[in-house]
Amino acid sequence: MWQELTDIVVRSLLISGMATVLATSWGIPITMILTVKESKFRRALLDVANTLVAIPTVLIGLLLYLLFSRSGPLGFFGILYTPTSIALGEAILITPLIISLSASVLRETKTDIWEMAISIGATERQALVVMVTESLPKLLTAVLLGFNRAIGELGVALILGGNIKGLTRVMTTAIALEVSKGEFELALTLGGILLFVTFLVTVIVRKVGRDL
Amino acid sequence: MIELKGVSFAYVKEDVIKDVNLLLGPGVTAIIGPNGSGKTTLLKLAAGIYRPRVGEVLIDGINPWSVPETVKTSIRRNVVYIHEEPIMLRGSVADNVAYGLRIRKLPADEVVIRTEEVLEVLGIKHLAHEKAQTLSAGQKQRVALARALAVRPKNLLLDEPTANLDRCGRETLMELVKDLVRKGVCIAIATHDRLLAFKLTDRVVFVENKTAIFVEGSGGRWLI
Ligand SMILES: Nc1ncnc2c1ncn2[C@@H]1O[C@H](COP(=O)(O)OP(=O)(O)O)[C@@H](O)[C@H]1O
Ligand SMILES: [Mg+2]
Repeated sequence: MWQELTDIVVRSLLISGMATVLATSWGIPITMILTVKESKFRRALLDVANTLVAIPTVLIGLLLYLLFSRSGPLGFFGILYTPTSIALGEAILITPLIISLSASVLRETKTDIWEMAISIGATERQALVVMVTESLPKLLTAVLLGFNRAIGELGVALILGGNIKGLTRVMTTAIALEVSKGEFELALTLGGILLFVTFLVTVIVRKVGRDL
Repeated sequence: MIELKGVSFAYVKEDVIKDVNLLLGPGVTAIIGPNGSGKTTLLKLAAGIYRPRVGEVLIDGINPWSVPETVKTSIRRNVVYIHEEPIMLRGSVADNVAYGLRIRKLPADEVVIRTEEVLEVLGIKHLAHEKAQTLSAGQKQRVALARALAVRPKNLLLDEPTANLDRCGRETLMELVKDLVRKGVCIAIATHDRLLAFKLTDRVVFVENKTAIFVEGSGGRWLI
């Protein structure tokens, strides 16, 4: 019982962590380039991102399911019902949130830090670097919120993962299962653990961010 | 020396600066005009931070927007612009002052020597290890000035530099500007401070209605 529970918690952390790394690795560079280039597409991207923040998780789950299912266009990857597919789905789910939050942070640094750096003689590359290092604590908050959304979502994990015991069962799908079985007490306990784990991560990230 | 030739610039659609010609030459040029008239925009154009929509900016004779990236940086290094609200990096005062030297990849010992030197000049040596972002506005102003002086630019653009300074700070700034002028630095100051303009300037640029009127000769004559 305890062994299984620990497994589920660790798996949740790993999958959501992976999703966050993926979403960050494409979300923040894109936002940064569009911000620095003062691109017209920045506004468009932001409108799209802000809209997609509201997308129901089951909808993303369903779309990716159709993509990854055996007969779907990406079916040959064979990743449906694996932790990888959940991580990928959650990464897509939280990308709009990370873009939206980091866009405002980076916009601010563009008009002050970037300009100051350029003016004191930085190359465009050096100016980009200082822009990122200066906004690191705030960017970290954006990334953290992405992680928290990923670890707390159900739709993607359920549809793409299938809640397979020992393989793709994560905290939220475990809760859903217990609810469906009428095991409310266990479901509530799991919910409490989920919140506690998320709280721990939040506090740790904040501490790390302060020392950056 | 910085020259603007037929420069127009728009943030969004409408021109904020329209067909401006002016010369920021040796000595001090005061840039005067009501709030929102485009003084800051003009200085950022002169610094090579903004790219003109039409026209050209010549920094010591070269247009930074018509040369390759590497040359552009070396052209821009001849001019430093200081924001009205000075921008501080997260580190200490010394880190901030050393920033311009570090990105020029100067040897570490020279960075230390020059940093100490300008901290001394601006009378903020005692603040060297304070966090720059927690300083008062006036202190930040001095740090920004120190950071600019450390890289010894040939052109210095100051945006409302006295807005956050007390009288003593103002005196120091005036002395500093006079000293820089003696060393051959071209200085442009956007200001509301008529006394400052009166005492220091060799020429005045009045900014109004998107355009700039350029007047050679002591500022005082035009201000009273
Ligand atoms: N980042 C910006 N985006 C859009 N409009 C701007 C921006 N900065 C300034 N402006 C506008 O450009 C005009 C000139 O502003 P500015 O150069 O800051 O004037 P000043 O420094 O003389 O007060 C103002 O009308 C202002 O609203
Ligand atoms: Mg201004």
